[in-house]
Amino acid sequence: MIEGAGPVAAFWGLSALTLLAAGGVVVSRNLFHAVLFLIVVFLGIAGFFLLLSADFLAMAQVIIYVGAIAVLILFAIVLTPRASRDNAETRMAPVALVAGVAVAGLLIPAILDAEWRTLSSAPALPVSDLGRELLGVWVLPFQLASVLLTAALVGAVVLVRSPREEREEIDEEERR
Amino acid sequence: MSGAPFLATEHWWDLRDLSNISREILEFLDRVGPDWLAYVVSPLIGFVAAFLLFVLPSQLFVGVYGERRLIGRMQSRLGPNRVGKFGLLQPIADAIKLIQKEAITPRGADKWVMWTAPVVFVAPAVLVWAVIPFGPNMVIADIPVGLVYFLAITALPVLAAFMAGWSGNNKYSLFGAMRVVAMAISYEVALVLGLLGVVLFTSTMSLQAIVEWQREHDIWLVFLQPLAFVIYFISASAELNRTPTDIAEAESEIVAGYLTEYSGMKWGLFYGMDIGYALAAAAFGSTVFLGGWSLFGLEEWVPPWLILVAKTHLFYFVFIWTRGTLPRLRIDQLMALAWKYMLPLAAINLLVVAAERLWWHEAGLGDGIVYLFAAANIALALLLVVGWARVLGYRPERVPTRPRLVKHVGGYVAPGAETGGGR
Amino acid sequence: MTEIRSEPFVVNIGPQHPSTHGVFRVKVTVDGERIVDAEMVMGYLHRSIEKLAEERTYTQNIPFTDRTDYLSSMSNNLGYCLAVEKLAGIEVPPRGNAIRVIMAELQRLASHCMAIGAFANDTGAWQTPVMWTFREREKILDLFEMTSGARLTCNYMRIGGVAFDLPKEFEPACRKLLATFPSFIDELHGLLSENEIFIARTRGIAVITPEQAINASLSGPMLRGSGVAWDIRKADPYCGYEQYDFDIPVGYNGDSYDRFIVRLEEMRQSVRIIEQALDGLPGGPYRTEVPLALRPPKGEAYARVEGPRGELGYYVVSDGGPAPFRFHIRPPSFINLSLLKEMTVGGTVADAIVALGSVDIVVGEIDR
Repeated sequence: MIEGAGPVAAFWGLSALTLLAAGGVVVSRNLFHAVLFLIVVFLGIAGFFLLLSADFLAMAQVIIYVGAIAVLILFAIVLTPRASRDNAETRMAPVALVAGVAVAGLLIPAILDAEWRTLSSAPALPVSDLGRELLGVWVLPFQLASVLLTAALVGAVVLVRSPREEREEIDEEERR
Repeated sequence: MSGAPFLATEHWWDLRDLSNISREILEFLDRVGPDWLAYVVSPLIGFVAAFLLFVLPSQLFVGVYGERRLIGRMQSRLGPNRVGKFGLLQPIADAIKLIQKEAITPRGADKWVMWTAPVVFVAPAVLVWAVIPFGPNMVIADIPVGLVYFLAITALPVLAAFMAGWSGNNKYSLFGAMRVVAMAISYEVALVLGLLGVVLFTSTMSLQAIVEWQREHDIWLVFLQPLAFVIYFISASAELNRTPTDIAEAESEIVAGYLTEYSGMKWGLFYGMDIGYALAAAAFGSTVFLGGWSLFGLEEWVPPWLILVAKTHLFYFVFIWTRGTLPRLRIDQLMALAWKYMLPLAAINLLVVAAERLWWHEAGLGDGIVYLFAAANIALALLLVVGWARVLGYRPERVPTRPRLVKHVGGYVAPGAETGGGR
Repeated sequence: MTEIRSEPFVVNIGPQHPSTHGVFRVKVTVDGERIVDAEMVMGYLHRSIEKLAEERTYTQNIPFTDRTDYLSSMSNNLGYCLAVEKLAGIEVPPRGNAIRVIMAELQRLASHCMAIGAFANDTGAWQTPVMWTFREREKILDLFEMTSGARLTCNYMRIGGVAFDLPKEFEPACRKLLATFPSFIDELHGLLSENEIFIARTRGIAVITPEQAINASLSGPMLRGSGVAWDIRKADPYCGYEQYDFDIPVGYNGDSYDRFIVRLEEMRQSVRIIEQALDGLPGGPYRTEVPLALRPPKGEAYARVEGPRGELGYYVVSDGGPAPFRFHIRPPSFINLSLLKEMTVGGTVADAIVALGSVDIVVGEIDR
């Protein structure tokens, strides 16, 4: 288990931060503020990974969730017309509440029911092992995920291409 | 390291290895205080030392003063020369001016976000220095994933820039925010792919180990990975918003981009930390590509941290130089450069490195082979850079750079018509 | 497939903006970064010069012309004086004409320095080209100070000639400048014309076809950039321009880059003209004596010169009194601006700035 005053303080501090920020995501009326709170949640979770000596995971969490996903959400907000109306007039609140309760009802018994293996010392997981596992045992899911992401990327490009741009491109090719 | 007469010793007064002092302090604290005290104090000492000895002086006197003087020289003017001897106190005068200026928050601005953005911008600029090794023992945290740490930390200022741009309630700020995000995402991809080549060669992500690898093999990674170096340089200058790629605060287009509504010290923090990030990028680049604190054996005679400082400033000089010379690219051109040009090149580079690495280890070749790889990779890099431009349809010689000369007035002069003029 | 559209919004470029070269405003409607509409708003610098001029004598009006296009006061002085001389039938002695040519061409050099520097600044070359061009412009302004006593608003031309003769130190100083100037132009050529980024930013941007250019009555480098060989110095010579040997540079496609290289080449040609004028500088009087309170006969006159920005015309109507009855300026940059909407719509905001920079406007002349 966690030993020493430092890690304990860090654990409770991070928990409080993460939970408060998560609350902020839900409560905040301003869409932009909600995303900023979400980023704090991501950072808190990265902190938990660090506490578990999974430093590579923590870094990956920051790069991918904070550096890429959160930024993409922000980008989507900016590009959305009427983003400034925030989520004040949304009618999805009851649905969201039901969904939230359902997820919690699934997860909480599962967590309580699971037999957690506790280790006395954190195993040092070299990145090379992680890579070997990913490209050895788990190569199929890894590849599938990559293909899915590529498909999504191509799909996004096709979606946002306006007919005008396509025309321009055809014209340009003809000129050549 | 032993045997050489001028080797760094373990006495606290030996300035060639500054870690001696901090070790002495920590051992003393360990003796007199509770055992957690040393843990708390050691990172503080590290950051304070890194900041007081290197970052702050560099930022003020190289970043603010030196850059302005150098750019002044390039622009055939003098630069700051009034405050203090040679104008050396100019940065301090600037700071005083900025602090006493009013920090305006426009009505309609998102006040909280606007005030937090500079803070979010400053914090990573400090944290970045944790993994930069200044010497064999002089690194605050030699974590095994130092390279990824650097990438993770440098992803944060983008958020701050976006917050600044969004909160200002100004259309130019919004333009800047959108540009900064679009550019950061694009260049991050090429940057990570380029750095992967380095990681493949050295098979480590610890910056200290990368420096050691370069020392052992007596070669800098810039020679082994010229393409990755170029990609790193361009991506870094794009993410730092320095001039050829400073579209996020493009002065002539969108006034000051995401900083349009900022004033006083809130603006000053952004300005100062921009230089801090540039220095960090230069330090990281010289660590990964230029051998860090090592200099082919000279590090045993000269303090290693001085070598790193010199390399960092040289690297930073190139940033200044490009800033003083080149015009700015348009946003779609920058995006095209990232996605159509640098990304494929980085992918090809990665394949080449993987093949070389595999061959090296499978065939059990000696370490001398790296020089062959270096020669091959430099040639390949040149070939790829030129060849890929050709593939994309770039023909430099098609552009006439002098107009036609006509002797007599008349109407439209069709291309290829006889002009009668001469030079 | 339906087109995904973002919400267009209006951005005011100016009146306070680093790249509008004065208090000029373009109201652009953008869709993302792409401009869908542009509307010019001007008049922030209106000083009613044309009306004021009706209350002053002909000689007193010369300083007004300094202040319309403050970057080329010599050319403006010259245009106005030519108009009044045409109205009153005054001949200018050959020495006066040669001095006028030298001054007008020096002014073109100074003005193009400014235009090229500001244009490079608009493309984002962070201050370096503008500082270099200002360094050279200062040398030209030194020559102006030497002859007229003023650097910017020279007030040097007079009806019937010029205000003062050239001082004797002028010729060596001017020759020294001319000796170094071509190498400076080569320097700019290396820094900008052959710079890949600069070409990428300006080539194919804000294209004006020759038909468009002629229909919109463009003139100067704007017209020549579109490939139309037209120069008032050759088409309708004044001040004895017909005796000098020079070429008209014309561009290829009419884009911003062509306008830039045309300006750069014009500087080379101006150096040629000044050298010829200095070599053949005649002696004799530099001014015909003209009564201070000049009363030209009833009538009207229009005189035009090839200013740095294009056809600079002055139209003066006299009712026989000591002041002009009507005084009108044809400002080249105002008319060159008329195609701004066609140049900017469809491009990005960054392109609009380049387009505006390539027009080379002086707001004092647009608003008068």
